[in-house]
Amino acid sequence: MIRWILKSLTSEPWHLVASVSAIGGAFALALFFEAVFAGESKQIVAYIDQSDADVWVMQRGVSNMHMATSYVSDWKADKIENIEGVNKVTPILYLNTVMQAGGRSWFSFIVGIESGNARAGPWSIAEGKQLPGPGEAIVPAVLARLAGLGVGDTISIAGHEFTVAGLSDGTFSMANSITFVTLADLADIMSTFASMSYFLVDVAPGVDSIALAKRVTSEIEKVNAVDNRHFTKNDREVAMQMGLEIIVLMTVIGGTLAILLTGFSVHSSVSRKEHEFAVMKALGVQNKMIYFCVMVYAIGLALLGFSLAVILVLVATPITASFVPQVTLQVTMPALLRFIVAALVVALLAAILPVRRIVRIDPVQAFKVS
Amino acid sequence: MSEPALKAEHLVKTFGDGQVAVRAVDDVSLVVVRGELVVIMGPSGSGKTTLVSMLGALLRPDSGSITIDDVEVTELDGTSLAALRARKIGFIFQSFNLLDALTVEENILFPAHLARGGVRSAKTYAQDLLQQLNLQPRRSARPATLSGGEKQRVAIARALINRPQLIFADEPTGNLDSQSGQDVMMILYDIARDQGCSVVLVTHDPRVLDVADRVLWLEDGALRDRKNEQHSWVKDPVCGMRVDEWTASLFSEHGGDRYVFCSQRCLDRFVVEPTCYAVSTQSE
Repeated sequence: MIRWILKSLTSEPWHLVASVSAIGGAFALALFFEAVFAGESKQIVAYIDQSDADVWVMQRGVSNMHMATSYVSDWKADKIENIEGVNKVTPILYLNTVMQAGGRSWFSFIVGIESGNARAGPWSIAEGKQLPGPGEAIVPAVLARLAGLGVGDTISIAGHEFTVAGLSDGTFSMANSITFVTLADLADIMSTFASMSYFLVDVAPGVDSIALAKRVTSEIEKVNAVDNRHFTKNDREVAMQMGLEIIVLMTVIGGTLAILLTGFSVHSSVSRKEHEFAVMKALGVQNKMIYFCVMVYAIGLALLGFSLAVILVLVATPITASFVPQVTLQVTMPALLRFIVAALVVALLAAILPVRRIVRIDPVQAFKVS
Repeated sequence: MSEPALKAEHLVKTFGDGQVAVRAVDDVSLVVVRGELVVIMGPSGSGKTTLVSMLGALLRPDSGSITIDDVEVTELDGTSLAALRARKIGFIFQSFNLLDALTVEENILFPAHLARGGVRSAKTYAQDLLQQLNLQPRRSARPATLSGGEKQRVAIARALINRPQLIFADEPTGNLDSQSGQDVMMILYDIARDQGCSVVLVTHDPRVLDVADRVLWLEDGALRDRKNEQHSWVKDPVCGMRVDEWTASLFSEHGGDRYVFCSQRCLDRFVVEPTCYAVSTQSE
């Protein structure tokens, strides 16, 4: 009986295809925006993630990296290193600026690292050197592709010329790009002396990072120390306020569209069969059977639409990455689960209105000439 | 033949309230015995479909009682009514009302899912019905590809699949050509005669009068038995229209003769100048 009622509901293939396509398209849009959000959220803190310092030490009053300015005297590195539980301290300089490359301006985070110390440098190299020498820069491979740069070309950072010595992977997002130069070169650009921006602290095995961060903050004057997890969280929050909210809004719009289309499709499919439901009721089909079938149909429609959406997004992700490399897409399992639950809830909610109507259908309608 | 399959007493159904209230069925009582073919006729809007809907447990009467197989239908809840319809009643509709997505065979078997025996036991009977109703070659066809006569035969088979004791048919020949209509009539007659199934038929088709056990006339919500009555067709003396003297309600007498009128307008004209119209009306 269920099979036959469902067969009746799905008897118009083109209507079914249109419904599934509409739902699939809308969920694909929502999933795509979610993938952009997830990708950018991850990418925006990629440097912090990849550096994998246990504790970050910075100027008091500063608690993140994105668009922040921090100055800490370099001699404090020794004092931090002397604190019990600290294994290693790596200083970096950091500057938000616009650089010129390939005839265009690029907003970039410039990170100055110690010569020959890969600890705070690029973590994946696509081409060329891994670490910059004097007058050299390691730029993101995506930026190089967009700007038409290659190893050996020249870029300008705050009026200083640098030779591209290497191209790094995973250092570009829509919100920022990370370019690595030597500490000395960046100090020259920033006109600083004996100052660092951040200290990356590695703690000894078994040492609690949060406790150590508190000790550093209390024992070293005019610094703020934050464990890696909180530092990442702070940075992501700032980045969210500065642009990712738009992606969130787009995701919400995509999700709402998906909800509306699912609701409309279920409603329209069921409503088109109103006369047949009246006939079924006249023949003796119980309301609870109709309830069940409409719910199953709604869930089936949502699942088909959602499956189509997943396929579309999985196909679109590598295509987008190759044509629009500046956008980082990440389809995550939690996002898929979240959306599938939403799709099912929406489908059930969308079914309630038509099913209530059907249950109220007078079987006498079967006598009306259709 | 004398055992009642359906007993309805003092059925009343009113639609609307106050001044717009329409009493569609007005104190109708009826007994249909097993194997009887009862035809309900009447003008459009006379309440035929409302009456059949109530008798078929689709519509609750405002008052009165309906007993089917010793079960008082008006006391049943919606779920029990649906179960009763599935097991004991078959419906045949003017517009066939087949389920478009299902094949002929699936349409016939559809009500079997709702009965106690289930589909498995009904499949053999479905084959018999397909054979009897000459539908075997079309068993896998979709309703959209069938002719009107074929559709109605499928609807009849569907109505019979659960071996109901009552079949209600609403204008079953209304959408059929002459030959197909004749076939359907004879099938319904055979069902009543051979299978002992009571058939209540609403129709305007005069061909059924010859095979009906009883013809009931419903007008203004009230029933009258007509099987043994002769029609008394007379001409309205004013407009010349044919009027059934038996059911007419507008009369006048002149010169010792009785005249029947189709409408108040004709009656009024006659009363003003009866000599202009007072000619003998011819019975047909």
